[in-house]
Amino acid sequence: MSEDRFIDRLREDARPLRFEPDAFMTTRVAARIRERIQTPATASQVLARWFRPLAASLSALALAATLGIVWIDRTSSDVQQQPTVESLSATNTIEISAAGDVYRVNP
Amino acid sequence: MKAAGAHEEDPLETAAIAETKNGRPEAYEYLVSKYLKRVISVAWGIVRNADDAEDLAQEAFVRAYENIARFRTGDPFGPWIYRIVTNLSLDVVKHRSRVRQEALSDMEEGERRDRADLPAKTNEIAARIESALQSLPEMQRLVARMHLVEEFSHTEIAGMLNLNEGTVRSHLSLARRKLREQLADVYGGSYE
Repeated sequence: MSEDRFIDRLREDARPLRFEPDAFMTTRVAARIRERIQTPATASQVLARWFRPLAASLSALALAATLGIVWIDRTSSDVQQQPTVESLSATNTIEISAAGDVYRVNP
Repeated sequence: MKAAGAHEEDPLETAAIAETKNGRPEAYEYLVSKYLKRVISVAWGIVRNADDAEDLAQEAFVRAYENIARFRTGDPFGPWIYRIVTNLSLDVVKHRSRVRQEALSDMEEGERRDRADLPAKTNEIAARIESALQSLPEMQRLVARMHLVEEFSHTEIAGMLNLNEGTVRSHLSLARRKLREQLADVYGGSYE
Protein backbone atom coordinates (compact mmCIF):
# COMPACT_ATOMS: atom_id res chain seq x y z
CA MET A 1 0.00 0.00 0.00
CA SER A 2 1.40 3.39 -0.96
CA GLU A 3 2.06 6.04 1.68
CA ASP A 4 -0.74 8.32 0.45
CA ARG A 5 -3.23 5.45 0.34
CA PHE A 6 -2.19 4.43 3.84
CA ILE A 7 -2.83 7.95 5.17
CA ASP A 8 -6.17 8.18 3.37
CA ARG A 9 -7.36 4.88 4.82
CA LEU A 10 -6.00 5.73 8.24
CA ARG A 11 -7.89 9.03 8.23
CA GLU A 12 -11.05 7.34 7.10
CA ASP A 13 -10.81 4.66 9.78
CA ALA A 14 -9.81 7.17 12.45
CA ARG A 15 -12.85 9.34 11.82
CA PRO A 16 -14.90 7.70 14.62
CA LEU A 17 -12.17 8.82 17.02
CA ARG A 18 -13.12 12.44 16.51
CA PHE A 19 -15.07 13.65 19.50
CA GLU A 20 -18.50 14.83 18.42
CA PRO A 21 -20.15 16.82 21.20
CA ASP A 22 -23.89 16.29 21.38
CA ALA A 23 -26.48 19.06 21.10
CA PHE A 24 -26.86 19.28 24.89
CA MET A 25 -23.19 19.92 25.36
CA THR A 26 -22.90 22.56 22.64
CA THR A 27 -26.05 24.34 23.85
CA ARG A 28 -24.77 24.31 27.42
CA VAL A 29 -21.35 25.66 26.51
CA ALA A 30 -22.80 28.31 24.17
CA ALA A 31 -25.14 29.46 26.97
CA ARG A 32 -22.26 29.72 29.44
CA ILE A 33 -20.19 31.71 26.96
CA ARG A 34 -23.14 34.04 26.31
CA GLU A 35 -23.64 34.51 30.02
CA ARG A 36 -19.99 35.35 30.60
CA ILE A 37 -19.61 37.82 27.76
CA GLN A 38 -22.93 39.58 28.19
CA THR A 39 -22.77 40.04 31.95
CA PRO A 40 -22.82 43.81 32.57
CA ALA A 41 -19.57 45.02 34.05
CA THR A 42 -19.53 45.81 37.76
CA ALA A 43 -18.75 49.33 38.98
CA SER A 44 -15.20 48.36 39.86
CA GLN A 45 -14.66 46.84 36.40
CA VAL A 46 -15.95 50.01 34.73
CA LEU A 47 -13.70 52.14 36.94
CA ALA A 48 -10.74 49.88 36.25
CA ARG A 49 -11.44 50.06 32.51
CA TRP A 50 -11.27 53.87 32.67
CA PHE A 51 -8.55 54.13 35.24
CA ARG A 52 -6.00 51.83 33.60
CA PRO A 53 -5.47 53.84 30.40
CA LEU A 54 -5.69 57.07 32.39
CA ALA A 55 -3.05 55.88 34.85
CA ALA A 56 -0.86 54.70 31.97
CA SER A 57 -1.16 58.07 30.21
CA LEU A 58 -0.38 59.98 33.41
CA SER A 59 2.62 57.74 34.11
CA ALA A 60 3.92 58.33 30.58
CA LEU A 61 3.45 62.10 30.99
CA ALA A 62 5.19 62.07 34.38
CA LEU A 63 8.09 60.11 32.93
CA ALA A 64 8.39 62.45 29.96
CA ALA A 65 8.26 65.49 32.27
CA THR A 66 10.92 64.05 34.59
CA LEU A 67 13.22 63.25 31.68
CA GLY A 68 12.61 66.72 30.23
CA ILE A 69 13.39 68.47 33.50
CA VAL A 70 16.57 66.43 33.99
CA TRP A 71 17.66 67.20 30.44
CA ILE A 72 16.96 70.93 30.77
CA ASP A 73 18.69 71.02 34.14
CA ARG A 74 21.80 69.33 32.74
CA THR A 75 21.85 71.53 29.67
CA SER A 76 21.54 74.72 31.69
CA SER A 77 24.21 73.67 34.17
CA ASP A 78 26.52 72.91 31.24
CA VAL A 79 25.85 76.38 29.88
CA GLN A 80 26.55 77.88 33.27
CA GLN A 81 29.90 76.11 33.42
CA GLN A 82 31.05 77.75 30.14
CA PRO A 83 33.18 80.84 30.91
CA THR A 84 31.62 84.05 29.65
CA VAL A 85 33.13 87.50 29.24
CA GLU A 86 31.18 88.62 32.26
CA SER A 87 32.29 85.69 34.38
CA LEU A 88 35.89 86.10 33.35
CA SER A 89 35.81 89.76 34.03
CA ALA A 90 34.14 89.06 37.35
CA THR A 91 36.84 86.70 38.53
CA ASN A 92 40.03 88.13 37.04
CA THR A 93 41.85 91.21 38.22
CA ILE A 94 41.97 93.99 35.66
CA GLU A 95 45.36 95.54 35.13
CA ILE A 96 45.67 98.98 33.67
CA SER A 97 49.06 100.39 32.70
CA ALA A 98 49.44 104.12 32.44
CA ALA A 99 52.74 106.04 32.20
CA GLY A 100 54.80 103.08 33.36
CA ASP A 101 52.60 102.43 36.38
CA VAL A 102 50.41 99.40 36.68
CA TYR A 103 47.08 99.70 38.38
CA ARG A 104 45.13 96.64 39.43
CA VAL A 105 41.41 96.79 39.84
CA ASN A 106 39.54 94.07 41.67
CA PRO A 107 36.00 94.03 40.42
CA MET B 1 -7.51 16.12 0.15
CA LYS B 2 -8.44 19.53 1.44
CA ALA B 3 -7.98 19.96 5.16
CA ALA B 4 -11.21 20.43 7.05
CA GLY B 5 -9.82 23.45 8.83
CA ALA B 6 -8.71 25.24 5.64
CA HIS B 7 -9.78 28.85 5.51
CA GLU B 8 -12.51 29.93 3.15
CA GLU B 9 -13.63 33.53 3.05
CA ASP B 10 -16.80 33.89 5.10
CA PRO B 11 -18.37 37.35 4.87
CA LEU B 12 -20.67 36.57 7.81
CA GLU B 13 -17.66 35.74 9.94
CA THR B 14 -15.91 38.98 8.97
CA ALA B 15 -19.07 40.94 9.76
CA ALA B 16 -19.52 39.15 13.11
CA ILE B 17 -15.95 40.00 14.13
CA ALA B 18 -16.39 43.64 13.12
CA GLU B 19 -19.68 43.95 15.01
CA THR B 20 -18.26 42.26 18.10
CA LYS B 21 -15.40 44.74 18.02
CA ASN B 22 -17.96 47.52 17.88
CA GLY B 23 -19.45 46.38 21.17
CA ARG B 24 -22.23 44.05 20.06
CA PRO B 25 -21.59 40.80 21.99
CA GLU B 26 -24.61 39.11 20.38
CA ALA B 27 -22.71 39.11 17.06
CA TYR B 28 -20.14 36.82 18.69
CA GLU B 29 -22.71 34.01 18.75
CA TYR B 30 -22.16 33.38 15.07
CA LEU B 31 -18.50 32.61 15.76
CA VAL B 32 -19.40 30.40 18.73
CA SER B 33 -21.94 28.40 16.73
CA LYS B 34 -19.57 28.01 13.79
CA TYR B 35 -16.50 26.82 15.73
CA LEU B 36 -17.75 25.39 19.02
CA LYS B 37 -17.98 21.70 18.02
CA ARG B 38 -14.52 21.68 16.51
CA VAL B 39 -13.04 23.59 19.45
CA ILE B 40 -14.47 21.06 21.92
CA SER B 41 -13.14 18.25 19.75
CA VAL B 42 -9.64 19.75 19.62
CA ALA B 43 -9.63 20.20 23.41
CA TRP B 44 -10.89 16.66 23.94
CA GLY B 45 -8.17 15.29 21.66
CA ILE B 46 -5.57 16.74 24.01
CA VAL B 47 -7.11 16.41 27.48
CA ARG B 48 -9.17 13.26 26.75
CA ASN B 49 -11.94 14.22 29.09
CA ALA B 50 -15.33 15.58 28.09
CA ASP B 51 -15.87 17.81 31.15
CA ASP B 52 -12.46 19.40 30.81
CA ALA B 53 -12.95 19.84 27.06
CA GLU B 54 -16.23 21.62 27.71
CA ASP B 55 -14.65 24.00 30.25
CA LEU B 56 -11.66 24.64 28.01
CA ALA B 57 -13.82 25.46 25.00
CA GLN B 58 -15.80 27.90 27.11
CA GLU B 59 -12.64 29.54 28.44
CA ALA B 60 -11.11 29.75 24.96
CA PHE B 61 -14.14 31.57 23.54
CA VAL B 62 -14.29 33.98 26.46
CA ARG B 63 -10.58 34.78 26.15
CA ALA B 64 -10.92 35.30 22.41
CA TYR B 65 -13.83 37.66 23.07
CA GLU B 66 -11.87 39.62 25.67
CA ASN B 67 -9.00 40.04 23.20
CA ILE B 68 -11.08 40.58 20.07
CA ALA B 69 -9.83 44.18 19.77
CA ARG B 70 -6.36 42.81 19.01
CA PHE B 71 -7.70 40.49 16.30
CA ARG B 72 -7.26 41.78 12.75
CA THR B 73 -10.59 42.01 10.95
CA GLY B 74 -10.47 39.91 7.79
CA ASP B 75 -8.19 37.23 9.24
CA PRO B 76 -9.78 33.79 9.72
CA PHE B 77 -11.08 33.30 13.26
CA GLY B 78 -10.62 29.50 13.20
CA PRO B 79 -6.82 29.24 13.49
CA TRP B 80 -6.88 31.81 16.30
CA ILE B 81 -9.50 30.07 18.44
CA TYR B 82 -7.89 26.66 17.77
CA ARG B 83 -4.54 28.03 18.91
CA ILE B 84 -6.08 29.44 22.10
CA VAL B 85 -7.85 26.19 22.98
CA THR B 86 -4.74 24.14 22.14
CA ASN B 87 -2.57 26.24 24.46
CA LEU B 88 -5.13 26.06 27.27
CA SER B 89 -5.45 22.29 26.83
CA LEU B 90 -1.68 21.77 26.83
CA ASP B 91 -1.49 23.76 30.09
CA VAL B 92 -4.05 21.39 31.62
CA VAL B 93 -2.05 18.36 30.47
CA LYS B 94 1.16 19.84 31.90
CA HIS B 95 -0.57 20.56 35.19
CA ARG B 96 -1.95 17.02 35.27
CA SER B 97 1.48 15.49 34.67
CA ARG B 98 2.85 17.51 37.59
CA VAL B 99 0.02 16.30 39.80
CA ARG B 100 0.52 12.73 38.58
CA GLN B 101 4.13 12.81 39.61
CA GLU B 102 3.02 13.80 43.08
CA ALA B 103 0.18 11.29 43.40
CA LEU B 104 0.34 8.03 41.46
CA SER B 105 -3.15 7.03 42.51
CA ASP B 106 -4.61 10.09 40.77
CA MET B 107 -3.03 8.96 37.52
CA GLU B 108 -4.79 5.61 37.64
CA GLU B 109 -8.09 7.31 38.29
CA GLY B 110 -7.47 9.71 35.42
CA GLU B 111 -6.69 6.93 33.00
CA ARG B 112 -9.86 5.04 33.90
CA ARG B 113 -11.85 8.20 33.26
CA ASP B 114 -10.06 8.76 29.90
CA ARG B 115 -11.03 5.32 28.69
CA ALA B 116 -14.63 5.88 29.77
CA ASP B 117 -14.76 9.04 27.63
CA LEU B 118 -13.86 7.31 24.36
CA PRO B 119 -16.51 7.97 21.73
CA ALA B 120 -19.19 5.30 21.92
CA LYS B 121 -19.18 4.59 18.18
CA THR B 122 -15.53 3.55 18.17
CA ASN B 123 -15.21 0.34 16.15
CA GLU B 124 -12.50 -2.28 16.33
CA ILE B 125 -10.14 -0.71 13.77
CA ALA B 126 -10.62 2.73 15.27
CA ALA B 127 -9.84 1.26 18.68
CA ARG B 128 -6.61 -0.20 17.27
CA ILE B 129 -5.69 3.17 15.80
CA GLU B 130 -6.47 4.85 19.10
CA SER B 131 -4.26 2.41 20.95
CA ALA B 132 -1.44 2.94 18.42
CA LEU B 133 -1.79 6.71 18.73
CA GLN B 134 -1.64 6.46 22.51
CA SER B 135 1.65 4.57 22.32
CA LEU B 136 3.37 7.47 20.51
CA PRO B 137 5.51 10.07 22.29
CA GLU B 138 3.54 13.17 23.30
CA MET B 139 4.32 15.55 20.41
CA GLN B 140 4.03 12.85 17.76
CA ARG B 141 0.70 11.78 19.23
CA LEU B 142 -0.58 15.33 19.30
CA VAL B 143 0.49 16.11 15.74
CA ALA B 144 -0.72 12.77 14.38
CA ARG B 145 -4.07 13.14 16.07
CA MET B 146 -4.56 16.67 14.74
CA HIS B 147 -3.61 15.58 11.23
CA LEU B 148 -5.33 12.20 11.04
CA VAL B 149 -8.35 12.59 13.28
CA GLU B 150 -9.06 16.33 13.24
CA GLU B 151 -7.80 16.63 9.63
CA PHE B 152 -5.86 19.85 10.13
CA SER B 153 -3.19 20.77 7.59
CA HIS B 154 0.52 20.99 8.43
CA THR B 155 0.32 24.78 8.38
CA GLU B 156 -2.65 24.86 10.74
CA ILE B 157 -0.98 22.46 13.17
CA ALA B 158 2.22 24.53 13.07
CA GLY B 159 0.20 27.64 13.96
CA MET B 160 -1.69 25.92 16.75
CA LEU B 161 1.35 24.39 18.40
CA ASN B 162 3.75 27.28 17.76
CA LEU B 163 6.07 25.05 15.76
CA ASN B 164 7.52 25.52 12.31
CA GLU B 165 6.07 23.46 9.51
CA GLY B 166 9.24 21.38 9.08
CA THR B 167 9.03 20.25 12.70
CA VAL B 168 5.39 19.28 12.25
CA ARG B 169 6.26 17.26 9.13
CA SER B 170 9.10 15.58 10.98
CA HIS B 171 6.87 14.59 13.94
CA LEU B 172 4.24 13.36 11.53
CA SER B 173 6.69 11.33 9.50
CA LEU B 174 7.97 9.56 12.61
CA ALA B 175 4.43 8.98 13.86
CA ARG B 176 3.33 7.58 10.50
CA ARG B 177 6.20 5.12 10.43
CA LYS B 178 5.38 3.86 13.93
CA LEU B 179 1.67 3.69 13.20
CA ARG B 180 2.35 1.73 10.04
CA GLU B 181 4.48 -0.75 11.98
CA GLN B 182 1.89 -1.17 14.70
CA LEU B 183 -1.02 -1.45 12.27
CA ALA B 184 0.80 -3.64 9.74
CA ASP B 185 -1.76 -6.44 10.13
CA VAL B 186 -4.56 -4.01 9.21
CA TYR B 187 -2.97 -2.00 6.40
CA GLY B 188 0.01 -4.11 5.38
CA GLY B 189 3.56 -3.13 6.21
CA SER B 190 5.18 -2.72 2.78
CA TYR B 191 5.54 0.45 0.68
CA GLU B 192 4.51 -0.71 -2.77
